[in-house]
Amino acid sequence: MAKRVLIVDDAIFMRNMIKDIFASGGFEVVGEAANGLEAVEKYKELKPDLTTMDIVMPFKSGIEATREIIKFDPNSVIVMCSALGQESLVMEAIEAGASDFIVKPFKAEDVLAVVKKVLGE
Amino acid sequence: MPIDMSKYLGLFTSEATEHLEALSKDLVRLEQEKSPDLVAAMFRHAHSVKGMAASMGFEGITTLAHRVEDLVDLVRRRPELMSPEIADLVLAGTDQLQAMVKAAGASELQPDANPVIARIRGRLVALTGNEPAPTRVVPTIATGEASAPAPAAPPPPAPHEPGMPPRFALKIKISQSCPVPGVRAFLVHKKLGTLGNVFELHPPLDDLKAGRIPEGLVTMQIEAASAEAIRKALSVVADLETVELSRIEPKAGPPARPADAQPEGPRAVGAEPARTVRVKTELLDYFLETVGELLLSTAHLREATKAVPEAFQGPLEEGVGRLHSIVKDLHDKVMSVRMTPLSLITDRLPRAARDIARKCNREVDLVVSGAEIELDRAILDELADPLLHLLRNCIDHGIEDSEERGRLGKTLRGRVTVTGRRDRDRVLLEIEDDGRGMDAARLKANAVERGLITAEAAAAMTDREAFLLSCLPGVSTAKEVTDVSGRGVGMDAVKRAAEDVGGSLDIDSVAGRGTRFVLRLPLTVAVVNVLLVGVGEEIFGLPIGKVEAVVEVDPAKLSRSRNSPMLHHDGELLPVYPLGELLNVDRHQAGGARPHVVLDAEAGRVALEIDRLLGQEEAVLKPLSRPLDQVTGLAGVTILGSGRPVFILDVPRLLAA
Repeated sequence: MAKRVLIVDDAIFMRNMIKDIFASGGFEVVGEAANGLEAVEKYKELKPDLTTMDIVMPFKSGIEATREIIKFDPNSVIVMCSALGQESLVMEAIEAGASDFIVKPFKAEDVLAVVKKVLGE
Repeated sequence: MPIDMSKYLGLFTSEATEHLEALSKDLVRLEQEKSPDLVAAMFRHAHSVKGMAASMGFEGITTLAHRVEDLVDLVRRRPELMSPEIADLVLAGTDQLQAMVKAAGASELQPDANPVIARIRGRLVALTGNEPAPTRVVPTIATGEASAPAPAAPPPPAPHEPGMPPRFALKIKISQSCPVPGVRAFLVHKKLGTLGNVFELHPPLDDLKAGRIPEGLVTMQIEAASAEAIRKALSVVADLETVELSRIEPKAGPPARPADAQPEGPRAVGAEPARTVRVKTELLDYFLETVGELLLSTAHLREATKAVPEAFQGPLEEGVGRLHSIVKDLHDKVMSVRMTPLSLITDRLPRAARDIARKCNREVDLVVSGAEIELDRAILDELADPLLHLLRNCIDHGIEDSEERGRLGKTLRGRVTVTGRRDRDRVLLEIEDDGRGMDAARLKANAVERGLITAEAAAAMTDREAFLLSCLPGVSTAKEVTDVSGRGVGMDAVKRAAEDVGGSLDIDSVAGRGTRFVLRLPLTVAVVNVLLVGVGEEIFGLPIGKVEAVVEVDPAKLSRSRNSPMLHHDGELLPVYPLGELLNVDRHQAGGARPHVVLDAEAGRVALEIDRLLGQEEAVLKPLSRPLDQVTGLAGVTILGSGRPVFILDVPRLLAA
């Protein structure tokens, strides 16, 4: 069965791009969230196998959201979407329990390599 | 055979300085929390400096370090002798040592230590009745005859005793293609840390986090139930090129470390490759500026390719695209090198707080948190003095003396907290005291009296605005100029320093409860993500960190409150400002829906009405020079790929003007 993915990013453009990447890799995108608040809600509702999480977002940052999701489900697999120059934020997210990270600009094969690895495929 | 000790000089200076800084830090802490561990640590620091200086043949430093060590040793054995006077003496010795080490490092004449040595000696004799032991120095440099200790072998691996969980040696290589090897290595470290203790991590964690990983190689020893557990933990980590794992057999017999631990000798210099290089800040600034120019030139080139005949465009665009990504990467790397933890400027605060408190006769506890947060070094450099001034202000003007505090029912010791934290793309640095607070009425009266504002303006001011009056030159509520505050850097300089680096200062105060200064700072000075907007024929940039949303609304359909247009957004009514009117620019008069940019203007959210939305660009911000820097509301200027200069707006200032 295809793994279920939740995509969190405040930019629609990014969400669409990530969605296409996951679709091409045989994943099922089950939900999207545009900020940290939505992310936590959607996570609880959908319980996806994998969540991609942008870091800088309105209302609640990706790091905060990660912290809350991990508290709710310590086994959740969250992959941070970061940009160069955000290294210290990514490390903060890893401390908060994120499983891995991908770095913008995304290349489909890199993204899929990281998520497949992190899901143990 | 004489050994040329001069090649160790750099290492000596940096290590001795670290020890001395740690020593004075521990001493300041000791005055608050009487802990034998701290005294023991202080002793070790003094002892190490003595040992190192003796090997280098620095007689003055060795003798003084020895006397400081004696003094600390006395306190270690007889804690009841500890007093502020002894602390002063230890600090005086440490300060002198630092000056001497610095001079030694620069191969300059070292300042005379004899007065301090005599003072400490006098106190030691008075307290113990005994003359301190003489000091032995290896006169290596002086004569070049005596042989120095051979460079020590690399430190033995941490003892691994039988009966402990199995330990493994691990060597991983991070793939060259990983754009952020530091984060990758950090993730590995974090994942393995859940299996068991990690030892002998190389490069050390700080270097790892900063991405300083020569050839992507990371080695460590790790305790784990089995090799399989380690392999399993690593199997889900991407970007690892090779993983080498071997079991370390436990050593028989007792741990190798001698019971009477000697201070570590100078570290073996040639034994392992240098991990860090010190670079002058100016050089980094030059790099950054040049790379910034490169970014601009690349954008320029990209524009130019559009004019090339189509047949040539493909390869040209590909080349330029690649060039751009390399330059971008280079730029980010240079930026990340400049990122420095706040501790660079907060580390000296405890010591400063102690000295100020002693001078003003206050009792103060200083609590610093969030010092690990990183900021552009250029910003930190500008803030060192302002931060010190705020601290002085808190202790001298804010905190009451213990007698008054007792009368007011407050804790006898005052408290100053310094907190660093991240807020989206900003860093907030807060300095808060629990003292008497600021008097808004008094500040207003003072400013009116000096003719800086009119009585009407004063009456219309909120308290928060009134507190900022203290930043006008000459306005202060301090009753008299004391030796500590009221001179040199004033609040006006603090505010200016914050604004110069693209930040702001806010003051919050409650009479009788305390004052909080908030410095809101950008992470970096040089690059801003801007939203390009058009008004009439003009183009302006808005810092994207402030932008929350863009909505299309017909201005005619906006609700109005007291005749000003208001925008409904997210359940809130936001004031609408046409950007054209704010800037006196003619705008397109066509009716219908227009984009409105919702942004955070510090005092609250506002909506800016614009004509066109032109896109997003990463801009290398150039500071404005005279006379343009006098125009309020402009944060800087950048040059677009097309070569067109564009002003970046500072919306809060623009609205305030």
